[in-house]
Amino acid sequence: MADAAQGTVAPRKEDRLNKQERLALLECMLRIRRFEEGVIHLAMTPEYEYVGRQHLYIGAEGAGAGACLALGKDDLAHTTHRNHGYLVARGSDRMRMFAEILGRADGTNLGRGGSWHICDPDVGFRSTSAMVGGSIALAVGSAYALQKQKSKAISVAHFGDGTLDEGIGYEALNIASLFKLPVLFMCENNSKPGQRPSSMLAAKHLSHVPAALDMPTKAVNGADVEAVHLAAKEAVDHVRSGKGPYFLQADLERWPGSHQVHAAFPTGVTDISLAWDEGKIEGKNADWTRTYDPIRLYAKKLLGENAVTRDELTALDRKVADETDKLRATAVKSPFPPADAAAKQFA
Amino acid sequence: MTEMNFAEAMIDGLCVALDSDPSVSIIGRGISGHGAEAAADKRLAPYGDRVLDPPTSEAAVAMLALGASMSGLRMFLHFGTGVFAFEAWNQVVNEAANARYMSGGRLKSPVTFCMFHGLRNGGGPQHSASSQAMYANSPGLEVVMPASPADAKGLALTAIRSDNATVMLVHPSLLSLRADVPAGDYAVPFGQAAVRREGRDVTIVAFSRQVTEALKAAEILAKEGIDAEVLDPRTLVPLDEASILASVRKTGRLVVADETPVHYGCASEIAALVAEKGFGSLKAPVARVARPHTPVPFSPGMEAFLTPDAAKIADAVRRTLAA
Repeated sequence: MADAAQGTVAPRKEDRLNKQERLALLECMLRIRRFEEGVIHLAMTPEYEYVGRQHLYIGAEGAGAGACLALGKDDLAHTTHRNHGYLVARGSDRMRMFAEILGRADGTNLGRGGSWHICDPDVGFRSTSAMVGGSIALAVGSAYALQKQKSKAISVAHFGDGTLDEGIGYEALNIASLFKLPVLFMCENNSKPGQRPSSMLAAKHLSHVPAALDMPTKAVNGADVEAVHLAAKEAVDHVRSGKGPYFLQADLERWPGSHQVHAAFPTGVTDISLAWDEGKIEGKNADWTRTYDPIRLYAKKLLGENAVTRDELTALDRKVADETDKLRATAVKSPFPPADAAAKQFA
Repeated sequence: MTEMNFAEAMIDGLCVALDSDPSVSIIGRGISGHGAEAAADKRLAPYGDRVLDPPTSEAAVAMLALGASMSGLRMFLHFGTGVFAFEAWNQVVNEAANARYMSGGRLKSPVTFCMFHGLRNGGGPQHSASSQAMYANSPGLEVVMPASPADAKGLALTAIRSDNATVMLVHPSLLSLRADVPAGDYAVPFGQAAVRREGRDVTIVAFSRQVTEALKAAEILAKEGIDAEVLDPRTLVPLDEASILASVRKTGRLVVADETPVHYGCASEIAALVAEKGFGSLKAPVARVARPHTPVPFSPGMEAFLTPDAAKIADAVRRTLAA
């Protein structure tokens, strides 16, 4: 369904981010992007025996970094299978993530989960469910536990617009509102009318569903990391203060490789210089890069406001790319677990 | 020891769990079945918001319980009639069953899904399911079926304290069964069968309400000079294979009684176990006493026709001995 952002958030003066905070948002997005590009490299290299699918977070970095950097370290996230962004943003060990995606012994889940089920409870990333409607209800469960434990932490449900096609999406929203559970519903709306998969909802706006259940809602442009971040901070404050759940919707335009079956770079390998050298943007997906790439847009914005220099941007991107390459190189050396470990249950 | 009925014993177990561990939390009413809710409510009332009466949203409530269990609570959820858990099928067999394994053991999932199963006089096609084989065929779940008040309490306590997802199936006709129940805190370990009656001539493996029927059958058969052993595995997963095989080694004959529809059911699994690992002990073919593979009709006589009972078990034993 079409559900454009209901206007951008005008930042209050006290909400203005300092340079350090802005660079943290950019670096977080770059970490996610370079990680996902690393996954594509793994999938394109036959010797690594990559067998997974491709549900990459490219194009959603603004939503993930914006939301995750508004969280505290004790907060708990549950995500869908498009989970790499939240994992990286929460600070999961990227070497172990790469290893898990390859089904290796050093993987976060010892090779039992793969990309679809990576979890890292040590960094407040509770679980991934690869079933549509899974993460939203599990996050309500974590929120229930936090409420019983009288914790100040909150739970975050990461999900897409498709979750509201599922009955359990409605059930979870209802229960959270009914019992005033401390959960942030972070909906990434990348619906594309007429394209499958995409949500098909009779409601004119996604937010009409939680609004009908007496829940505050807001929609922001998911390609604008600062807008997401400021809205997420407000939402997190609301939830943490004990007022109950909050539904925050980040509207996204799908990256052209969003549902790719075969590993590819439909918008090329990220080139940070496109932030200032737009003439170089080319190819059949140039429009996406020009209009929707949240990293390019944010780098351009920071340059335009003289908040950073081109050299600073280049150096930051280089640093992230190099560290990611090193972690990937370590992960591919991890062995496959012994096959008979499959029978081991956890008692 | 105190004499109490099955429902009271279960509630007693829940109270012990709540008293001994502040992280225990309960969802669901009707734990003691129709007619006894008031007594259950009264005993659970002092626990306040540790006992939640949820909206009719089985799928989300199952996930609430699972998510909360991942985040530090020990959850006991009662669905009421087991068919309602079908509304949460994915959540139990695909989310809860896999949660711990697929995390590489990094997550725990101490959640118990309790429900009523079985033929219960007029349940009709949609309220009579015995779905234990379905759960037992979903790796990652522990599956338990108490047949006595003492086990109802002891297995509930073990289930609540287990770090794995557990499905507990209770037959509603057992709720009024009275027997001695140990006082205080104790646990019935999973994977340990109980010999309910010792015998030499035939082994009857029975689950849940069929344990009561098997014991009645053994009394009938005793009058005919047939000495039946009745074995109650108590837990389907894990299954105490050794005790079943040892009993069949002694008697040489096996009858299995369970309410699961006969095709691909629990009785079939026990029969396959003995065929595979105890074939040399068998003096006669194994007999299964289970429901025919058909939906359940409402009309009383028709329902009774499908229901495994003492007479059917005794008949099966006689056939086995005649073979």
